Amino acid sequence: MDLLNSVSFQRLEGGLQAANARQRVIANNIANVDTPYFKRSEVSFESLLQQEINGSAPQLRGRVTDPRHFVIGPTNSVPDPVVTEDQSTAMNNNMNNVDIDREMSALADNQLQYNAYIQQMNDQIKMMRTAIEGR
Amino acid sequence: MNMNSSFGISASALTAQRLRMDVISSNIANAETTRASVVDGKAVPYRRKMVVLSPNESDFSSMLEAQMNGQSAGKGVKVAAIQEDQTPLKPVYNPTHPDADAQGYVYMPNVDIAKEMIDMISATRSYEANVTALNSSKAMITKALEIGR
Repeated sequence: MDLLNSVSFQRLEGGLQAANARQRVIANNIANVDTPYFKRSEVSFESLLQQEINGSAPQLRGRVTDPRHFVIGPTNSVPDPVVTEDQSTAMNNNMNNVDIDREMSALADNQLQYNAYIQQMNDQIKMMRTAIEGR
Repeated sequence: MNMNSSFGISASALTAQRLRMDVISSNIANAETTRASVVDGKAVPYRRKMVVLSPNESDFSSMLEAQMNGQSAGKGVKVAAIQEDQTPLKPVYNPTHPDADAQGYVYMPNVDIAKEMIDMISATRSYEANVTALNSSKAMITKALEIGR
């Protein structure tokens, strides 16, 4: 049964996980705003998903022609969020590069994005419920 | 799935900033203290104290996680040490003071009130930023509890 296991639902799930990870990374950046030599990190997911959808992501995937086959390469079409540290810049005299304004706006942005994913997920569930109940 | 760890990250920063605020209060309160501690039977003036912050990721589990996943979101911040400022004490000419030396100079603490005030503003602002981050995480979790309702 593939009630709530469509590709778009999986992508929403991936988006939620990415937003979770991004929330943690931004919270960590804000927590370390006064720490000398700290370098900020960021999470990329949406761009990776876009690459995946466009088929430009260079990766090797085994073809599965039988359900008993082992899966070679990524197991689903949704990429994992990737955390990268920005080593290239320095904002401050103590080599810290956390820009608090940028982090706060990223925080607000991330929260809205998360809410949007949840809204979309709820709508999909509602549609499925309508289909099941038939009214 | 450990969403709660973003609470832990913000909470560690709240603790660190609060401790920083405590240390600043102590500096301001002791700006005139000439007998802070006794060294070799002699009272010495207070020295300005500073909080040293460092990322909280030196424990085994986070290093293991970073090595296995190739990435880690970090674990917040911790106070690594409270250090004394080693800049020289301020000599003030006041021969009637009980702690004056033979030349009539009293050594006053190296606390600069203006500097402490600025540090205090910085600590307050950082604290507020972390409260905002905490509230945002809380709102997100509350929202996630409404999935499928």
